[in-house]
Amino acid sequence: MRIAIRHQLSFTPPPGTQHAVMQLLLTPQTGPSQTIESWSVEAPGIGNAGRFNDAFGNMAHLVNQTRPDGPLTVTVKGVVATVDRHGVLGRPGGEPVPAIYKRVTPLTKVPAGLYSKFRNSKESRLDILHGLMARVSEALGAAEDESQTQMQADGKQSQGQGAVKAAAPAADYAHGFIGAARALGIPARYVTGYLAGDAESPAAFHAWAEAFDDGLGWIGFDPMLLLCPTDRHVRLAAGLDALGTQPLRAVPAGDGTRDMGVTIELAP
Amino acid sequence: MRMLGRTAQNLFWLSRYVERAENMARLLEVGYRMSLTSRREGGASEHLMSMMQAAEVDEEFNKKHKTADVDTVAHFMMFDPDNASSVYSCLMAARTNARSVRTAITTDMWESLNGAWLEFSQIKPRDVRGAKLLGLLQWVKQLSHQFRGALLGTILRDDGFAFSQAGNFVERADNTARILDMKYYVLLPRAKMIGGDLDIQQWTLILRAASAHRSYRHVYHDRYKAHNIADFLILRPEMPRSLIFCARAIELTLDSLSELYGKRQDCHEAASQMRAMVEGTTMETIFAHGLHEFLTEFIARNNRVTECLSESYNFY
Amino acid sequence: MGDTTPFDEMHNADGSVREPYRALAQWLDEQPDKALTLMQSDAEAIFRKLGITFAVYGSDEGTEKVIPFDVIPRIIAAQEWRRLSKGIEQRVKALNAFLYDIYHRQEILKAGRIPEKLILQNSAFCPEMMGLEPAKGVYAHIIGVDIVRVGPDEYYVLEDNLRTPSGVSYMLEDREAMMQLAPDLFQRCKVAPVENYPENLRRTLDSVAPAGAGSSPNIAVLTPGIYNSAYFEHSFLADQMGAQLCEGPDLFVDGGKVYMRTTTGPERVDVIYRRIDDDYLDPLTFRPDSMLGVPGLFDAYRAGNVTLVNAPGTGIADDKAVYTYVPEIIEFYLGEKALLNNVPTYNCTDSDKRAWVFDNIQDLVVKEVHGSGGYGMLIGPTSSKAQREEFKKKIEARPDNYIVQPTLALSTCPTFVNAGIAPRHVDLRPYVLIGDEVRITPGGLTRVALKKGSLVVNSSQGGGTKDTWVLED
Repeated sequence: MRIAIRHQLSFTPPPGTQHAVMQLLLTPQTGPSQTIESWSVEAPGIGNAGRFNDAFGNMAHLVNQTRPDGPLTVTVKGVVATVDRHGVLGRPGGEPVPAIYKRVTPLTKVPAGLYSKFRNSKESRLDILHGLMARVSEALGAAEDESQTQMQADGKQSQGQGAVKAAAPAADYAHGFIGAARALGIPARYVTGYLAGDAESPAAFHAWAEAFDDGLGWIGFDPMLLLCPTDRHVRLAAGLDALGTQPLRAVPAGDGTRDMGVTIELAP
Repeated sequence: MRMLGRTAQNLFWLSRYVERAENMARLLEVGYRMSLTSRREGGASEHLMSMMQAAEVDEEFNKKHKTADVDTVAHFMMFDPDNASSVYSCLMAARTNARSVRTAITTDMWESLNGAWLEFSQIKPRDVRGAKLLGLLQWVKQLSHQFRGALLGTILRDDGFAFSQAGNFVERADNTARILDMKYYVLLPRAKMIGGDLDIQQWTLILRAASAHRSYRHVYHDRYKAHNIADFLILRPEMPRSLIFCARAIELTLDSLSELYGKRQDCHEAASQMRAMVEGTTMETIFAHGLHEFLTEFIARNNRVTECLSESYNFY
Repeated sequence: MGDTTPFDEMHNADGSVREPYRALAQWLDEQPDKALTLMQSDAEAIFRKLGITFAVYGSDEGTEKVIPFDVIPRIIAAQEWRRLSKGIEQRVKALNAFLYDIYHRQEILKAGRIPEKLILQNSAFCPEMMGLEPAKGVYAHIIGVDIVRVGPDEYYVLEDNLRTPSGVSYMLEDREAMMQLAPDLFQRCKVAPVENYPENLRRTLDSVAPAGAGSSPNIAVLTPGIYNSAYFEHSFLADQMGAQLCEGPDLFVDGGKVYMRTTTGPERVDVIYRRIDDDYLDPLTFRPDSMLGVPGLFDAYRAGNVTLVNAPGTGIADDKAVYTYVPEIIEFYLGEKALLNNVPTYNCTDSDKRAWVFDNIQDLVVKEVHGSGGYGMLIGPTSSKAQREEFKKKIEARPDNYIVQPTLALSTCPTFVNAGIAPRHVDLRPYVLIGDEVRITPGGLTRVALKKGSLVVNSSQGGGTKDTWVLED
């Protein structure tokens, strides 16, 4: 599937700011499930940005602005060709040892109820992970407001201000799955990305999880959609949790980052 | 090694605060003397108040106190941390600035300041009255002289020296201009050429506040005259607290910076403009223009020098 | 160990003077009455003049504290020092190798030599450091190893300080004072110099500058500012090395590179000797509320445009729980037996162990896992019953927060106190620099517990310092 993406984020430094610094995790990389055909990052000061690989194998930008005046807007766009690998990514290079993804962070502490029944399971790790995804989906789905999972779909899917709202429950699902997996001693990581919409869910900035299996390597799990990532998922960045993978982080933060919306089209 | 903008800023303010501590002590001394000799009812309080107006601390004082008697005012001017210009606040700020640039100042500068601070912080305010007060004021002036001496005798003549000197003279120019502005009406030309007792008292205040009461005689060989006093404190280049002396010193100091850094900036223009105000003019011209207006503009231009300096050399 | 009498560094059991102290003993004999008292007061004047007096503890009101200085030097023989410094070198090399491994392939965890959980779930482990290649492969460039001596050839390492160890300025000032106070004593002994520490520090920092920094890299010392208790040391070292002393707001990141704001515009910084804790270094990556750090600094570090000294995340190697495994670490990376002893350390997490600890608490030292500076610590033999009961309750409530060690009989050195010359307990913190090579300053900082019988040498709790002499052959 060829997917054209356009995503805009902005934040407003407080008045009188001398120096604003932004860190962007907004550059997807070619991997087993996707090929980046084109990608651009536009932001004030991007020409002078520092580019580097972070500890988790993501491509990051460090952008700064002296005496910014008004809001700073970042626009990323590009075309990504995806293949459906049923979530299996294997062992791409340039990544840290999977073990570090056993580290429990404040956002990935979960109640024992989410994982206790798998604790002494004799099943294969893959089966456990699928069971875990179902358990998380069930546990969080029940608690969730109907309206948030309502669909809106048409040929050209787009979404405006709702993007952040939609990402929030996705983060909860992902954290639930990751926390439970880590509690069972399985390395699991948080993944941000884009979701091309279909009849059942809108296009969105999205989040899911990946867990490590000694045989298959990294495998994606999307507990919110209760499936393994398909060719509708475009992988952006991975990390320990949502905090470490924010697409735009800024100091001074002002009143926070505003997601101006994602537009996703199926490219011809 | 290039100098941090913050270091330049600290050096500038370090010198300003030491100079300010000295000026405050001098003003308080004048206010105190005059309050002692005032025969009129309420006269002492008036003198003290007008002294505090010159120091621009009268508003803060009125917030805290109902009456201005010698002890209250002395305590307020010497020890009150709420008074940003009290000797206490000035010394504290000077020392804080000095600690931040400990490596950019010499050991002698540090020791004179640190020693003074330690000594000052041992003093119990309630013990300071009467003759003790005058002794203490003398000591404050001396510590400023001592610091300046340590600076002049030991500091490298580099950018650090320039920023220190700039701070010193900007503060002094500001102080002299304010003292004059405070009392400008007693300096205006009048039909009656000989001042009455009250005038003489005011003139003495002005001269003493600028440590100029003795040197006046050396320069003018004459009794106190309003015209001469204004001339002395504004246009006399040999008077080290006059506006022209300070303006020239500031310009020269900033010129040395532009030479050192190879670049002229906005602050240089601001300094030239301030100096041009007092160069090649006469008291007659200034009186014709309006003394108060003249002083107000001078103070504004002096402030502009600080602003431009901060901007040009990356203070923050 | 335990209840044996402490080792007296000056005297043999029969009262005769040990070899390294002969010249000192003779010199002390020759001093007229009151000479030491005079020296003591001279010392104080010297420290004031040197500026040590402005080590302020959290106050801006001019409360100046001088760390007491003892005028009698501690003396270590050349041969004793050679053994000791070999052990130290072995230790710091192994710890750096450990850090490299932990932040790369984690072979030691895969080999099961250290429990994985102990590292991965440790708050001192910094996942953001994964995969980073520090210049020369060095993470901890400046290390202060706390060592106690219990016998002629028996040393124990109490703690490896790999974060931002302080106190080196006292080592240098103690020497400076001692040379002024007793030049004649120096003439009789060949004392190894410590004065080149700042130069060696500078060389170490130069050697780890990023590629492209040129032959004379720009060095900045990053301090939290004048209210930090070690501010004196920060300004002292910057001054001595010819480096710029910076606070967070003096630095900024532009285009992924670090600059300082100078009077003539931005100037590139190559190496930052930071004296700010990891958490506060960069609000963009670590604590967002930090006002002390530099936004984007860590990213500039990751991009390879600046070197941070020490690297963030070195604390995992001096964690009290990891400490137990240092002999294991030395063996794993160097294939050698540890030359210096570790103090046997127990945890209280299982109830049998806890019961044993409670029964013997009067003979043990209890330490908080993340405590420092001698706080959060119980020394059994000198504690009161109430204190012991209090600690039992604390351990019961959070057993994983405490470790337990036997009480060591710290060696004693002659010390000049009110009653005259008397033995007092001492420890030693040698300073190690690691860059293009390992440089260990002979001696280090000797801290002395001035209270009779006390084993707490921390300056915040009545400890003083001594000049430490390593004799040359």
